[in-house]
Amino acid sequence: MKPNLYLPLAATLEKVVEETHNIKTFTFRPAEPLPFAAGQFVELTVPGLGEAPFTPSSSPAEAERLEITIMRVGRVTERLHALQPGAGVGIRGPLGQPYPLEKFRGREILIVGGGVGLAPLRALLFALFEDTSQYKKICVRYGARTPEDLVYREALRGCWGRGDTLDVKLTVDKCDAGWRGHQGVVTTILEKNELPLAPAGGVAVVCGPPIMMKFTTLKLLELGFAPENIYLSMEKNMSCGEGKCGHCRLGPYHACKDGPVFTYAQIRDLPKIWD
Amino acid sequence: MKPFRLSESNLNAFLARISAGRTIFTHEAVGDQFRLVKTDHWDPSRHTLGTFRPVQPLKSLVFRPRELLGALFGEPGLPALELRIVLGVKNCDLSALQIHDFVLRKNTPPDPYYAQLREQTILVSCDCTDCREVCFCPAVGEQPYPKAGYDINLSPQTSGFIVDAGSERGEALLQTAQEFLQPATEPDLQVRQQNRDAIYRRVADQAASVGLTPGLDLQGAVVKSEGQPLWKAFAEDCVECGACNFVCCTCHCFLLRDGQTGGRMPERVKQWDSCLHKNFARVAGGANPRQRRTERLYNRFDKKFNFFPQVLGHYACDGCGRCTEACTGQIDIRRVLKEAVG
Repeated sequence: MKPNLYLPLAATLEKVVEETHNIKTFTFRPAEPLPFAAGQFVELTVPGLGEAPFTPSSSPAEAERLEITIMRVGRVTERLHALQPGAGVGIRGPLGQPYPLEKFRGREILIVGGGVGLAPLRALLFALFEDTSQYKKICVRYGARTPEDLVYREALRGCWGRGDTLDVKLTVDKCDAGWRGHQGVVTTILEKNELPLAPAGGVAVVCGPPIMMKFTTLKLLELGFAPENIYLSMEKNMSCGEGKCGHCRLGPYHACKDGPVFTYAQIRDLPKIWD
Repeated sequence: MKPFRLSESNLNAFLARISAGRTIFTHEAVGDQFRLVKTDHWDPSRHTLGTFRPVQPLKSLVFRPRELLGALFGEPGLPALELRIVLGVKNCDLSALQIHDFVLRKNTPPDPYYAQLREQTILVSCDCTDCREVCFCPAVGEQPYPKAGYDINLSPQTSGFIVDAGSERGEALLQTAQEFLQPATEPDLQVRQQNRDAIYRRVADQAASVGLTPGLDLQGAVVKSEGQPLWKAFAEDCVECGACNFVCCTCHCFLLRDGQTGGRMPERVKQWDSCLHKNFARVAGGANPRQRRTERLYNRFDKKFNFFPQVLGHYACDGCGRCTEACTGQIDIRRVLKEAVG
């Protein structure tokens, strides 16, 4: 962290991978290594335009380069999508609290992603892959709107589908005859008979659009996951990243400082958490 | 350090001594109000300690409305800042700095701009001897004279002042002005207490006359009233101008705004923001947890009367009444609280 918490570190865009028609994965090289832990986020600056918060999707073991998977949805992301390798940006962080991996050890872990929400979960998976023997089981359930909206397609087909510890299932909401996988919203691949783990002592980690997180949480509770073992990424307008500017307040918390990941037990009594 | 007595005739010399080498911020009377002014010397023909709080909140001197953070990738250091002193701070403004200290300084990492401004600024407070019609500090657990947070406090008496130090640097400053000070006597302190009790009663009675008696559970009232018709009714008069936030002595929200001016390096500015503005909590893609003005108005009160009591044990409202005077839609915070209490 620089001495001035509001100013970014310079970084260079090295590589761009087109994931879908509106999602790209960018590889940035910060001027200094930027160590982070899975779940923490950074503020990415387009110089002269502004900054926006993103959770890196690359391995936390790599501090020299950060990959960030970004959907084109607003002013800053529009400009980011137009950047070519070599472009200069700013990175501020890491900010927020990481996933508490120490609480995940020795347990069965269910990871549920929706759309571009798989991006932060990819960094978590890389962290878990560092030593899979620490975890009893890792199940990934990922849903996207159409087959064309799935991110990290090659990785999902290849290296992630490995070993006994890891179990990956995908689904899409809509598809044509060419899709041979599952069709339906993500909760349809969360049925009891689809999950090779015991919800009672398990940990579930969810990231996706608010509506997906809401129905996934309800499903997880129905399956028997405890509210304190359901981890949710709360999307808020996070600006300063240090709990000062006031934009991302969520009840007694600031999403940027106390989150952005919260357990359902922490936030279930707060009003309008899914809005 | 025990309290001192300062005679009326020594006031100007005393203020000149403790202000030496510092830029002065103090008050000028304008109509029936006071405004904060900057000066290089105390001029008794123009300046006054004020009898109640000025139009502008004290926060504007330590948490600037607009702070240029500099070139994006420039030197991270802070620009040099002169030593400053504020003469005549009132308790509402002083107590409000607890909120800013908590958010901007104790919540690490500290905001370096705020920390520097606080460090460089001596606060000389003064008991209120009068009030605005909109003042209601006793209803939020405050009183119209400081109990803590000042470097030096002056309590006006019939002739002269009782002076006491509230910090080590305040004590050190008083040491430099000993020739103007005599030890205060027990009767002096009794008179001070009588004056304080009298102004407290006056403001408390005025607040009670609109239904806000000291000790009301405003946190419980605001929480309980969420979703009640009163919020929609008051929100109908709100024009989202943000004036209430900007004149508020406790509001601390800001935004980081980037820009690029003619051929210069990209730069970043930190500037006050208003939670009543529609896009305050909006996220990329357009989702907005507080889409409706009613929700935003309630959120302002929830932050002041529920969030801060939870995290700090203190309302983020000191009853200065500035928001009532500034509101374009004539929303009176006292009426809102009264209706929430029921």
